[in-house]
Amino acid sequence: MSTEEGDIAPEKPKQDEDEIKPEEMKPVSYPVKVLYCPECTLPLEYCEFMPEATLQRCRVWRDNNQYLLEQEGFDLEALNLEDTPGDKKRQKRGGRGNVKSKQKKEPDIVRIARIPRGKRKFVTRVTGLATFDINLKKASKQFSQKFSCGSSVSGDDEIIIQGDVTDDLIDLISETWNQIDEDHIEDLGEVKR
Amino acid sequence: MFRKFDENENISSTNQIKSSVQRQIRAAVIEQMPEIESYLQEIWPKKENAKIIKCHDHIEILTVGNQTLFFKQRDSPWYPTLRLLHKYPFILPRQQVDRGAIKFVLSGANIMCPGLTSPGAKLNNDIGNNSVVAVHAEGKQTALAIGLMKLSPEDILKVNKGIGIETIHYLNDGLWHLKVSR
Repeated sequence: MSTEEGDIAPEKPKQDEDEIKPEEMKPVSYPVKVLYCPECTLPLEYCEFMPEATLQRCRVWRDNNQYLLEQEGFDLEALNLEDTPGDKKRQKRGGRGNVKSKQKKEPDIVRIARIPRGKRKFVTRVTGLATFDINLKKASKQFSQKFSCGSSVSGDDEIIIQGDVTDDLIDLISETWNQIDEDHIEDLGEVKR
Repeated sequence: MFRKFDENENISSTNQIKSSVQRQIRAAVIEQMPEIESYLQEIWPKKENAKIIKCHDHIEILTVGNQTLFFKQRDSPWYPTLRLLHKYPFILPRQQVDRGAIKFVLSGANIMCPGLTSPGAKLNNDIGNNSVVAVHAEGKQTALAIGLMKLSPEDILKVNKGIGIETIHYLNDGLWHLKVSR
């Protein structure tokens, strides 16, 4: 293994070889492109500090995307996620240094309900869109334009569309957002308010 | 600062800022981080509308497009966000912590002096007290936190105990996860 800075700083014993000083790096153009892990959102080199549950997903993603990493010129060895035997055992439980894993919300089901207003009028209530990371305000605007009727965001994860548009809405939702499958949409039928 | 930061709870308003205020902020940012000047036009084009997100505890976050660029609290200087710092790593002076400190910093701890003086760390002696620094880590290329020097480097070496750099923004905190919609 080669120590690049061995002769520059002899007084400090260097422990790692992959240390790179900014001035020794090949000329870079700004902005620097940093690749982030889509699972834990951190730069790839910090994945190893994630809690076990997230780390598992990071590993899976890396295995599936190795070609991409090679393309970008990443040294897979340097980004190794496995424990090296020389390392101190990581503390598994408790303590302040353990990053708690955030529960990833499972994409839910979009529920569509028809609510009667008076004798023969209805409004349509859509819930669950926000779990798919959809901007509710924009969605409601789109609904009102498409159905030419009033539509409003009325709660945390709720859109009310004036008029009974249930059938058209199911088609529209699965058309506009690819991540929502027809199976993810549930039609509750008529619901009391 | 952003340890418990939630998009739905901590944001009180989002406003477009006046061009005169924009000019002021630009000047302040350049004065504070002179290296950024030649790139500022690229980061924050004049035509682009900037927004200020006001949050609880007097935190203000400056966003351009759907990117968060800078933030500040009360009368503090403007801090760049980590995403911006990763793109332009030269805008802040750097300090380096040893490997053992990484996991604590990633869960939001302030940086203690021993983590800055041990063999894996690099303490930059030219950075004075109360300046904004990028916290890098042993063996890593990207910064993992943005901090504020609480002690001067000489004191850090001398005392070697307690908080040396206050962590302000770190990977995986609330600001890191903040999504801005246009």
